[in-house]
Order: sequence, then C-alpha cells, then structure tokens
Amino acid sequence: MKLNIDGLLVYFPYDYIYPEQYSYMLELKRTLDAKGHGVLEMPSGTGKTISLLSLIIAYQRAFPLEVTKLIYCSRTVPEIEKVVEELRRLMEFYSKETGESNNFLALALSSRRNLCIHPEVSALRFGKEVDGKCHSLTASYIRAQRHSDPNLPACRFYEEFDAVGRQVPLPAGIYNLDDLKDFGRRKGWCPYYLARYSILHANIVVYSYHYLLDPKIADLVSKELSKKSVVVFDEAHNIDNVCIDSMSVNITRRTLDRCQTNVDTLQNTIQKIKETDAAKLKEEYRRLVEGLKEANVARETDVYLANPVLPDEILQEAIPGTIRTAEHFVGFLRRFLEYLKSRLRIQHVVQESAPQFLKDIFDKVCIDRKPLRFCAERLQSLLRTLEIVDIADFSAVTLISNFATLVSTYSQGFTIIIEPFEDRTPTIANPVLHFSCMDPSIAIKPVFQRFQSVIITSGTLSPLDIYPRILDFRPVTIASFTMTLARTCLCPLIVGRGNDQVALSSRFETRDDIAVVRNYGNLLLEMSAIVPDGIVAFFTSYVYMENIVASWYEQGILENIQRNKLIFIETPDAAETSMALEKFQEACENGRGAILLSVARGKVSEGIDFVHHFGRAVIMFGVPYVYTQSRILKARLEYLRDQFQIRENDFLTFDAMRHAAQCVGRALRGKTDYGLMIFADKRYARADKRGKLPRWIQEHINDGSLNLTVDEAVQLSKHFLRQMAQPFRQEDQLGLSLLTLEQLESEEMLQKIAQIAHQT
Amino acid sequence: MDEETERAKRWEGGYERTWEVLREDESGSLRASVEEILFQSKRKRVIKSHEQVRLGMMRHLYVVIDCSRTMEDQDLKPNRLTSTLKLMEAFVDEYFDQNPISQVGIITTKNKRAEKLTDLAGNPKKHITALKKAVVDTVCGGEPSLYNALNLALQALKHMPGHTSREILIVLSSLTTCDPANIYELIKTLTSLKVRVSVIGLSAEVRVCTVLTRETGGLYHVILDESHFKDLLMMHVKPPPASSSSECSLIRMGFPQHAIASPSDQDAKPSFSMSHLDSSSSDAGLSLGGYFCPQCHAKYTELPVECKVCGLTLVSAPHLARSFHHLFPLQAFTESPVEELQQGDRFCQACQGELKDKLTFTCPSCRSVFCVECDLFIHDALHCCPCCIHTHTAR
Repeated sequence: MKLNIDGLLVYFPYDYIYPEQYSYMLELKRTLDAKGHGVLEMPSGTGKTISLLSLIIAYQRAFPLEVTKLIYCSRTVPEIEKVVEELRRLMEFYSKETGESNNFLALALSSRRNLCIHPEVSALRFGKEVDGKCHSLTASYIRAQRHSDPNLPACRFYEEFDAVGRQVPLPAGIYNLDDLKDFGRRKGWCPYYLARYSILHANIVVYSYHYLLDPKIADLVSKELSKKSVVVFDEAHNIDNVCIDSMSVNITRRTLDRCQTNVDTLQNTIQKIKETDAAKLKEEYRRLVEGLKEANVARETDVYLANPVLPDEILQEAIPGTIRTAEHFVGFLRRFLEYLKSRLRIQHVVQESAPQFLKDIFDKVCIDRKPLRFCAERLQSLLRTLEIVDIADFSAVTLISNFATLVSTYSQGFTIIIEPFEDRTPTIANPVLHFSCMDPSIAIKPVFQRFQSVIITSGTLSPLDIYPRILDFRPVTIASFTMTLARTCLCPLIVGRGNDQVALSSRFETRDDIAVVRNYGNLLLEMSAIVPDGIVAFFTSYVYMENIVASWYEQGILENIQRNKLIFIETPDAAETSMALEKFQEACENGRGAILLSVARGKVSEGIDFVHHFGRAVIMFGVPYVYTQSRILKARLEYLRDQFQIRENDFLTFDAMRHAAQCVGRALRGKTDYGLMIFADKRYARADKRGKLPRWIQEHINDGSLNLTVDEAVQLSKHFLRQMAQPFRQEDQLGLSLLTLEQLESEEMLQKIAQIAHQT
Repeated sequence: MDEETERAKRWEGGYERTWEVLREDESGSLRASVEEILFQSKRKRVIKSHEQVRLGMMRHLYVVIDCSRTMEDQDLKPNRLTSTLKLMEAFVDEYFDQNPISQVGIITTKNKRAEKLTDLAGNPKKHITALKKAVVDTVCGGEPSLYNALNLALQALKHMPGHTSREILIVLSSLTTCDPANIYELIKTLTSLKVRVSVIGLSAEVRVCTVLTRETGGLYHVILDESHFKDLLMMHVKPPPASSSSECSLIRMGFPQHAIASPSDQDAKPSFSMSHLDSSSSDAGLSLGGYFCPQCHAKYTELPVECKVCGLTLVSAPHLARSFHHLFPLQAFTESPVEELQQGDRFCQACQGELKDKLTFTCPSCRSVFCVECDLFIHDALHCCPCCIHTHTAR
C-alpha cells in the first residue's frame, strides 16, 4: 500500500499495516528531517525492519541529496540475511507499483569466511585462518613478488577482480551473501573485495556492528562512507558492551609467550633482509621521517571516519627517532614485552590508571609515552616492509602494539587491572592484564560525529534515557512504542512467594536457602504440568544453575519434572548447546514437550528465538544482575558515577532488567504468537525494577499479578492458555491491531496512533 | 484415612477464581474479545454447515479418550475423567440420533498404551454401558500415547469401505505423549488413507495436535469450561463434508417391518433376538414381536443393526429421514444490525424477548426477525423456521 507519512509518499509492501508501524515511521521521519539521532523502542515481531527500510528508502528517493546511503547494522549473519530478504520484497513492490526498474544497489557484507569462493581458502573453518590465507594470496607485495616468480600461488578470483572488477560498478539490484557469491562465481571475481569496493557506491549496505564500531576494522572498511548516510543499529540494546569490547584488550601469559616468538621471528627476518636487501629498510626509514603525511592529507578532506585508535594529533608528527630503524623498534618491543612480563609476575591484584602505568613504565624501563603511541603504526609499517606473508601468526604482537597505542593515547576512560588468578580458581596462577575500556562513547563517538542520522533501535531499550547518557550523544527523538493487540497474547506474572509463603528471591543471602530452591523447583514442576510443548527457563548464572539443578536432583524434583517434559541444559560449550537446542526443538515438535534450562546473557538468551510452540512460557529465576564482585565492573561503575552521574545501583538494575526483558522477550515473536512470562523473584514487584521493563511488557502487568504464589500463578496460566488456544483469525485483528489503508486513514485511528508513541 | 477421601477435600484442590468470570470488563478487553471470537465461530459453524456440500452419511468414528494421570485434575467437576465420560454418554446418544446408520468405537489410552473399550458398532446401548462401567472402574495413570491410539484405530478403520467416512476424535487432557515411533510418519499414513482426525484439548494447545488436525483435515479445539466442552463435543455429531474423492456406491439395506404376533395366535412362539446371542446380560428375554430381516428372517428387537446372519444393514425409514436434514438444511438467516429495525419492533419473533445484541437474524423466506439464541436453536435443533411453518399451516 502507499502511505502518506507526514507528506512523504512511502511504499509499504504489505496490504495491512500495524498501527505502531505507522507511528514508528512518523517518528523516524521526524528524526531524518531534523538530521539528528534517534532512540526508538518497538517490540519484536511488529515489523521494525520493514518500517525502517520502507521509510528510509522513500526518504532517499524523495530527497536524494539529503540522504545518500543507508547503513544498516545488525548483529548476526542470519539477521543480516533477513534484512536483505525484506529489502528484496520491498524493491519488488516498488518495481511493480511504479512499473520501472529502479537503480537501487543494496548489498550485504560479511567476513571473508562467509564470502570466500576460493576452493581451498573457503574450506577452512575459522575466520582467522581464512583471513590469513587470503592475505597470503592477495597482499600487495606477494603480488609484486609474483611478477618475478610466476610460480607462486595466487587467487585467480582476486586477480580477475583487480584487473577488471573496478571498471564497471556492480549492476543495480539486491544482493545477499549468496547472491554475491553467485555473481562472483559467474564473473570469476572475488565477492569479498567486490562487496567491499561496492559499498562505496551502494545505496544500502547491510553489515555487522563491528564494521563501524571496531576501530581496527572500521578503518579498513567504512572509512570512505559518505557523510550523508543514515546509520541504523538494530537490536542495539547491547551496543555499549559492543563498544567497550572493541576497545578493550586482555593480555595473558600465553599472549606474551606467543608475542616473544613473534618478536624473535621479526628479528631474524630483519637480519636476513639486511644481508640481502638493505635498501628496502632504508626506504622505509625515509618514509617514516616524512611522517604520516599521506594519511594526514586524506583526513583533511574530511571524508574519513576519525580513527579512535589513531587520533589526529599523531598524524601531525613524524614517527619518533627512537623507533625509526627496524632494529631499534624490535629492541623497543622486547623491552616493552619484558616489562609486561614483570608486571604479570605478581601475587596480588593491581589496579591503576593509564597515566600511572605510563609513569611506571618510564621509571622501570625508560620507555617514553611518545614512541608507545606510534607502536601500532610502526608495527604495521614494519610488517609491510618485511613482506610477512601470514599476518594471522602475528596477532599476538599486533595485540600488544595496539595496547601500547591505546594506553598512551587515552588517559581518560580506561583502567588497567592485573589479576594474578581468576576469582573462581584462586589456587591456579593465571595472571591476566585487563586493559578495559569503561566509556562506550569513545568507540561510538566518531560514528555520531560523522553521520548525520544515527538510529538506535531494539525491542528492549528501556529505560530509554540511559542510552544517550552512556553513549554521550544528544538524540532528537526518543520514543517507545507499544504493541496494539486484538487479544492480550502476553501474560507477565510476578511470582514472589512459594505455596508455603516463603519469599522467592535469588538474592545472595537467600540463594542457597533450601526452601527457596525447593519452591523454585516447585514452580517449574507445576508449570511443566500445565504449559504445552516448550518452556525456557533462565537462571542468573551458570554456577547458580548448577547448584540449583543439583539440589533439585537430590530432592527428587527433577525426576517429577521429567515425567512431564524432557530437560535440556545450556552449557558454555557452543557445540553442546546447539545439540541440546536441536533436540529441544525436536521434543517440542513431536509432542513430548521439553524444558530448556539456560542462563541470562548466554547464547540462548541473546540470539535464539522461541517462536510459537518452542516457547510457550519463559521463566526467569531471579534477577540477572551482572557479577558485581568483578573488578572491571566495579571500575566501570565508578567511572559512570564520576563522569555521567549515573548511580551504581541504577546502572546495575538497568543492566539486569534489560537482560531480563531480553530473556522473556524470546517467547513472543509476533502478534499471532502467545506466551507466558514468569518473573520468579519478589524484587520484580518493586517499582524501580518494574519501571525499567519495556513499556509493552509493563502495561500488561496489572496490580493483581504482582506478588503471586506458585499456585495462583498456575491458575492464571491455565486460564490464559485456554483463552489463547481459541481459534484466532486475521479478521479478528483487522481494525484493531491490523489496518487496511482505509482504516488507517480514518480520523479516529489517526488519533489513536498519536498515542502509541510514548515520548520521554 | 485412605487416599480417596484425601483427594476429595476441597481445599486440596486448586484455586478457583469463580468471581473472575463475573468481573466487569473495564480493564482487560480479554474476556469480551474472546467471547466475541467465540460468538463468531458459533455463527460461522451455523453458516458453514449450510453450504452445498456432500456429507458422509455413513460414518465410522473412533473416539479416543485419554485416561492418563492428568485426567484426575479437578478443574472439571468432579474430575476431568468422570466429566468426559458423562459427556461422552450424551455424545453417543446424540451421535446415533443424528447418524443412525453410522458406527462408533471407543479407545482409551494410558500408561503409554492404548486399548479398545468397545469395538466399532452401531448399537448405542453397548457403548453406554461400557462408558458407565468405565466411570467406576478406570484408574488414571501414566502418560497417554497418541501414536499407539491412532495406530490402533487405524488398524480397524483402514478396512472400512471407501464410501464411508473414517474419523478419529481424540479427547486429550495430557500435554505430553509418549510415542514408540515418529508420529509424523503416522500422520502421513493417516492422510493417505483419508482418515480425518479431530482433537479436543482439555488443557492447552499442543503443537503435535495442531499439525495432526491440519494435515488430516480435522478440527482442533481447546475447551474453556464444561459447557464449552459440551458444545465442542456436540459439534462432532454433525457429519463432516465428504471429500470429493471418496467413492460412491450403492448399498443394500433392509427395511424390516415390526411384527407382533397376537397373543391369541396359537402358532406364535416367543423367540430370542439375534443380537442378544453374544451378550451375556440376562435381561435379553424372549419376546413375541420384533423386526425380521427381509432377507433371512432373523429377528431383532432393535434397529439399526447389521444382520448377524446375512450381514445386511437393517434400518427403519425414520432413521434415514432423520439424516435428511443434513442433506437439505435450513437456509442461513441474514444478519443485520439492530439499528435497522424501528424502535418499537425490536422483539424476537420466536422467544418474544427484546433484541439486545447488536445483530439480528432474518429468515430470508418469511422475513421474520430472530435473536442469536433462537437462531442457533432453530438451526441446531428445529431445522425449520417456525414462522414459515406457521404461515404454511395457516394458509
């Protein structure tokens, strides 16, 4: 249907539209008009993706000079593929309606592992191996060597692409990963490099967060993207953690050992080259004296994404003399390495800031701040000069040099924690140096500064106002949308007491209490008897789950549950978990029924959807607080308090509740779906916890279901499940939660829609 | 204290929030909307049955009753099992009333096994006695086995001739099933043999039943309460539309006359009915009168029956006539909003009550107006419009 969104003609490829989608598009339009950033929350399963795509593409067509490109960031490959499929549908609709083939180019980009078509390279299993192998075939100096020695192996796909691929742009159309591979095979071009080249002139790019947020990759892939792009981060409820992870470095003793080997190899190679080809090193020296002038020129034209690892001021300077020659640099690396080793040889925990660290390193081994800052850049240059074939082998030394650059560049927002052992195994010495980023805004700042509109969206972003604070930006729209429903298909219940009136809670003081454990078991047992097919139960951590399951076994609860349903358990091992998941789905499918015990923040809670019968109920045992004794977390909390005036407790509750909302949200993936959401902890009833749940869950919690006992919850659930099993057809939704164009344009409905968006 | 009385105590049972049913509807739109949906599905059922379809008149139906542990649940009174069996008695009665030349068999499943309570037979009495006995005897336990029950029913049904319908109706209380093999293979077999499987769930929607009914073209419903259960059960009394691919054939039938030898007749001797031969009950006494098979002259006291001697189906003419309304149903009444009527005329022609609902129903031939309840009654029970009959006789 064709919609009129605030004066903009939007093609929407479906015959019906949810009222909240209309409202969402209105808000989005406002954000784009204002050329600002937005934070939008809309429940999963209400068609976020298609609303985003329809509106932004319509906007792009209407104002081709205002918005030139859409960069859509998602988290996983299946999600990327899903977005591309929606896009294809939309484009088909466009060409059907307008009758002309449009010249839109949209493509997905992923790692080499997913895009490579070289028969040998693509057979490798791990991403790093593929990258390394690819690099050994396609690096510029390898190809230069081949001129003299044509017998060296080559990737014919890359060669072909390099020869002719850049002359003609990729024909307009929609390309998912498989389409790119097909196209590559037909032409004999490398799909990965083709995609990387094509994102420069594509109208829509769909790829992973890391291509924008991780400074190491962003520099390679995204630096030339146009300033007038709209960036969308979908499923962005964890975006702060992604930012932090991309800037943090962990160094163990093993890293240092491997680094030592790397440095030795470097030394030997330098020695060899010196004997054969001293001119090359001289050339490099000359280049370094000139400084990074070239890079500087590129940045001045203001098209590059500012690289947070390499701040502007570095580019103004030449590489300091102490590390200019190759031998000196290797010596420098050796000293730095020895210093790190000595730091790891400790018995107690040390926490210090970056300036303290710099001072200490100056006192002990006389390393200045300045050469440290150039460490990463210098290493890259050296590796290029030495014509190292397999970059993957040098990951350890690259990591160390990145650390050196980061620690000397940022005095704020980072902390260094050295722990001699892990908390769980205090007897085993396993020293780790955490260089941890505490400020997610550092990684994301270049994105906000560079692009005119950044949209952060997800099903669970509540409380909305905290994201702008921790990411340090000023949005023009913050809105939360509810789900309009023809029948209440979600049933959140807060179970606060057992049948014997014992308060249920996963608080530290009571978590080992036998009465609490028994009552939790009772809850699961009773639910397993009345909920059909699949139940997913979330615990707060692996340790807690193990303890509880063990005592359930002793009390015989597990045996009773197994009479109703099979039990599967998520483990930290990915292969084991995916096996359990597969069997779980099989058991749900053939009517035996199953329970999946998993942990909040685990793989299951983040990426797996339990549609329809796979998740008829989700039980959240306890409040999933992050492990508060961790020093990294403590440091971060302190930083948040000092810098952003966010109280520790607020942040912890916010973090716990967003994970709880993520977990229970797994059950409900659309309007025809239905599911129970059981919060088994009395603390959920408190206003500060409840108020942080997304609005679409919150508004279905009525006062009667705040502090239920187990059997009250069972009665409510029974009732709910019977109601939901009644036949439900599309006609029942029409006019209420599903609208045709005529219904949408009625005055009354427009008024209703105005109330859907909840501005904060 | 023995276990029987222990279980019977009221406070041992679950909470019943009976007041919630009466709750005024201002916060949640749930109840109102579900009732609306139910109302519409009720209407739909009436309308749907009036399409011109071929109906299977000879039905073979196996009813599978779940007797697993979950049937002891007391959310139906006194418990699920007793309630189900009682309703089943009514169902069997009604079934033979509406489908006189059809057959029913009953299967129970518990402890991962399935067993036959009664074989396929056309005599309601036998089933009802078996059901009555089951109320007292049955001990619930273990899990049901959908696979075994379906397989057992299938073994009997697959030999039935192609012009008859093959149906299975499952009353399932449990949410789990314990199967010895992949049930999806069995579903394929059922589909290929054109067995129609319907399920009535007593607790919640189970995935495998959804698939089972969708693949085999049956119905799947979950009860809300006892009266809804009854409605759903009675829905299966009406014959389902026959698939166009089912064979047509002519069948031989006997229409025996009831003959009573007058007691004055000296030659008359009391004789046994053939159907009592195999029944052990002693009340099968001698009688003078009965129905005599037109082919072999075997005597029966009850119809319809299949002759034990020559295998002829014996029915009476009224039996066939009762199946008649399935073939020529009453036309659906036209729906219209109540506003179309003038203020003074808002009364139902049948019950004389005021029309309060937002919809009214008009008979297309005599233009009389009825309320929802009467409309349902007319279509479900009367099968003719009272006003039409009235004007007809007056003329």
